[in-house]
Amino acid sequence: MNAIDATDRHIKTSDGPPPSLLAIILDTNPHAWAHLSSTLPLSKAVANLLVFINAHLASGNANEVAVIASHSQRAQWLYPTPKPSSPRSTTTTSNGHDSSSQNRSRNRDMDMANGTTALSDSANKYRPFATIEHAIQTNLTALLSTTTATDLSSTTTTLIGGALSTALTYIAKSTIRHSPVDPTLTAAAADATNPSAHLADSDGTASTQRVSLTSRILVLSVSGDLASQYIPVMNAIFAAQRQRIPIDILKLAGDTVLLQQACDATGGIYMAPAAPQGLLQYLMMAFLPDAVARRALVLPGAGDVDFRAACFCHRRVVDVGFVCSVCLSIFCEPLTDATCLTCGSHLSLATAQTAAPALIPRKKKKRKRAPGEAVTPAGSNTPVPGGTPTHA
Amino acid sequence: MPSNAGSGSKSFLPYVRNIQSNGLATGLNPDTHKEYFTLTGTTEHPVLPSSRSKKDTPGNRRYLRLRKDTKPFQRGIIRHVILVIDLSEAMLEKDMRPNRCFTVIKYTQEYVREFFEQNPISQMSVMAMHDGLCVRVSELSGNPAEHIAAIQGLRTPKNPRDAPKEPKGSPSLQNALELARATLYHTPSHGTREVIIILGALLSLDPSDIHVTIKSCVRDRIRVSIIGMGGRLRICQEIVGRTNAGDESGYVVATDQELLRELLLATTTPPVIRSAAPSAGLDGRTVPAESGASLLMMGFPSRIIDDVPTLCACHGNLTRGGYTCSRCSVKVCSLPATCPGCHLTLILSTHLARSYHHLFPLRNWIEVSWERAKEMGSRECVGCLSLFPVPPSDEELQAIRDEASSTTDPAKARHSNRSKEKQNMGDAEEEAEQQLASESKRYECRACGSHFCIDCDLFCHEVLHNCPGCLSKADPTAVDGSAEVEMTG
Repeated sequence: MNAIDATDRHIKTSDGPPPSLLAIILDTNPHAWAHLSSTLPLSKAVANLLVFINAHLASGNANEVAVIASHSQRAQWLYPTPKPSSPRSTTTTSNGHDSSSQNRSRNRDMDMANGTTALSDSANKYRPFATIEHAIQTNLTALLSTTTATDLSSTTTTLIGGALSTALTYIAKSTIRHSPVDPTLTAAAADATNPSAHLADSDGTASTQRVSLTSRILVLSVSGDLASQYIPVMNAIFAAQRQRIPIDILKLAGDTVLLQQACDATGGIYMAPAAPQGLLQYLMMAFLPDAVARRALVLPGAGDVDFRAACFCHRRVVDVGFVCSVCLSIFCEPLTDATCLTCGSHLSLATAQTAAPALIPRKKKKRKRAPGEAVTPAGSNTPVPGGTPTHA
Repeated sequence: MPSNAGSGSKSFLPYVRNIQSNGLATGLNPDTHKEYFTLTGTTEHPVLPSSRSKKDTPGNRRYLRLRKDTKPFQRGIIRHVILVIDLSEAMLEKDMRPNRCFTVIKYTQEYVREFFEQNPISQMSVMAMHDGLCVRVSELSGNPAEHIAAIQGLRTPKNPRDAPKEPKGSPSLQNALELARATLYHTPSHGTREVIIILGALLSLDPSDIHVTIKSCVRDRIRVSIIGMGGRLRICQEIVGRTNAGDESGYVVATDQELLRELLLATTTPPVIRSAAPSAGLDGRTVPAESGASLLMMGFPSRIIDDVPTLCACHGNLTRGGYTCSRCSVKVCSLPATCPGCHLTLILSTHLARSYHHLFPLRNWIEVSWERAKEMGSRECVGCLSLFPVPPSDEELQAIRDEASSTTDPAKARHSNRSKEKQNMGDAEEEAEQQLASESKRYECRACGSHFCIDCDLFCHEVLHNCPGCLSKADPTAVDGSAEVEMTG
């Protein structure tokens, strides 16, 4: 609808910095936080993170934030609060209809406040800060309280791939909403049949500020081994690279090459602070500046990124490996039975090695002698070295 | 240029003009030249190729492009592609703006970038059909910058004394195929051999029998796909069909420049490898199996940053950063590359990872009916948290169903419902309606049952290649395992 009536033509866009969306992925892997509990307990880390979020929101009027928890069993939204789907019950049709039609007219943030229990009514706190703080705390508590002992024992890793994918889809949709050109045509036209249905949230904000959105992702990572999610994480990295979304990593514990590669590919900042106690300072100094400000700053160095691959058969890191041409699996040595362990295709080593075309050396032209010239005798005085290498 | 077909439709004109200018008007000697302007179907559908239906709006095209290619096939990840551009007189036509030649040169540069984005360990060479000959624009290599520079060099030559290559004369498909065949001759058997021809003209001016060339292309397992303009040619259909084991879907015709761009970019997806069927060639000899899978030796070099600039082995430039070959330790500027010292293929592991989404594609998400939406009770998109429209109540839904159709088949009901709505909607809405085939605006991942909006559906399938729902809920190892099983099947 916004596209059709040209109302936004007359709205003067602000000259300030473009709105910035910060998607934070908080790794809440219980095993890793248990290790860190002596230096930096989770509660303190969350408190520091909230200060950082407030600082981000305060540095620009239009700045936005999204927080996702990457837990051991699932990746879950912390802010904005998702509405749980309500599988069909007896009252869904009438009640669900009414309540959501009320929601349509409301702002998203108000929705959030309404959906959860009452905010702490401190008069000294800026209301948006309080809203986000309350939402994050409520959702995180809910997430941790639903984690059972069996969940903990079954896995020690974290679903960073899902969290990254969710963050990227959210950013993609937010970018569409903010786009100055108009890809919202699809969204607007989508509602042509049902105009009041779901543009409620984008109508309020997007039409007034059609300035393109700059986004970035910050991963607060504590888990080590992420190799099981190699392909999803790699896909997410390439998507971020294509969308020009930098992925910043703050590595409090553990070490993964994968996240280092994510920073390197997308142009983000990688930091592995030696003293996790100073979390807030690291956050404020290194990760608060947005993409525009970063151009003028000396950024913390990424250090050397290890691009070497680990083989699929023994998990050895290899310099020279053998790659299956069908499924691109990497092996550290030629396979014994010439069958790929991953895809089962029959592989021949010989065909690949004879790939380079051989150059046929040019025939040496015999110089024709003039018929009258004397032929040098075969056994001449000076011995001629035979088989002089010549350039073909 | 005189044109007798002044009353014809605008897009029909090029075809008429081509016949006049390239074929008959130039007075070719039929004894020395074999000409092919056999047009199939031009009497009935002079412009529209059969692949385009009446409902083919740009929005729908986008949707259709999304709705394909998600079955996990074995694909030729290591490709050797010859891109052949037509630089004949027909490319001066102005049915694309500013003319065909300019458009094609612009799109091919974009194409080269996208191609190497999607196929980082593949090789490409660019050729041009110009004045009866086929000239090599760039050598077979894996460096996109070289190709782009060479394509730009067609219009603005590096040497200022050279004249830019203007479209001239007639194209020769035979010469193009022969040169491509010679270029691909030494490529290893585990890679594909593909020729992609952008053909503007409606004829081919060949020195001898092109069918002999086609036969040798089939024997050398070269696959040809052709993007035509203006009309379909019998000979192109034959070339594509014969070299693709009877599958003629590789021959497409672009009727406007937007479609040309899409058809061109569609070829960046690696081709499906056909199983080694013992299809006997027409000359009686059996065609060798296409998938000669092999184990490739590759180096994974580490990056170095020197304190003082040193010479790189690939260009001889002074550079500080670079990669050292893992076998012979020479320095190369950029990856992927073939080591100039020991001919080892040097890549980063991330280049391999870039191709994984072709091997493990994200399955299509299905449309969600109102009944299903109610059953699941989804209220917002799992990916972006935007609200879905609220399902109608049972009575309203019944009314919609009754109104739409008397049958109970939901698919039919949806379809007729859509067509009815279309009549009282404008163009934009119609386009969106076709794109949004789901009545409840929800799309469901069959693996995890999450509901997504259309924007997230497009983003996940075109860019991300992950399902946020599956990865956020399930055990990641289970997802990987199922993908691998699918791939082998």
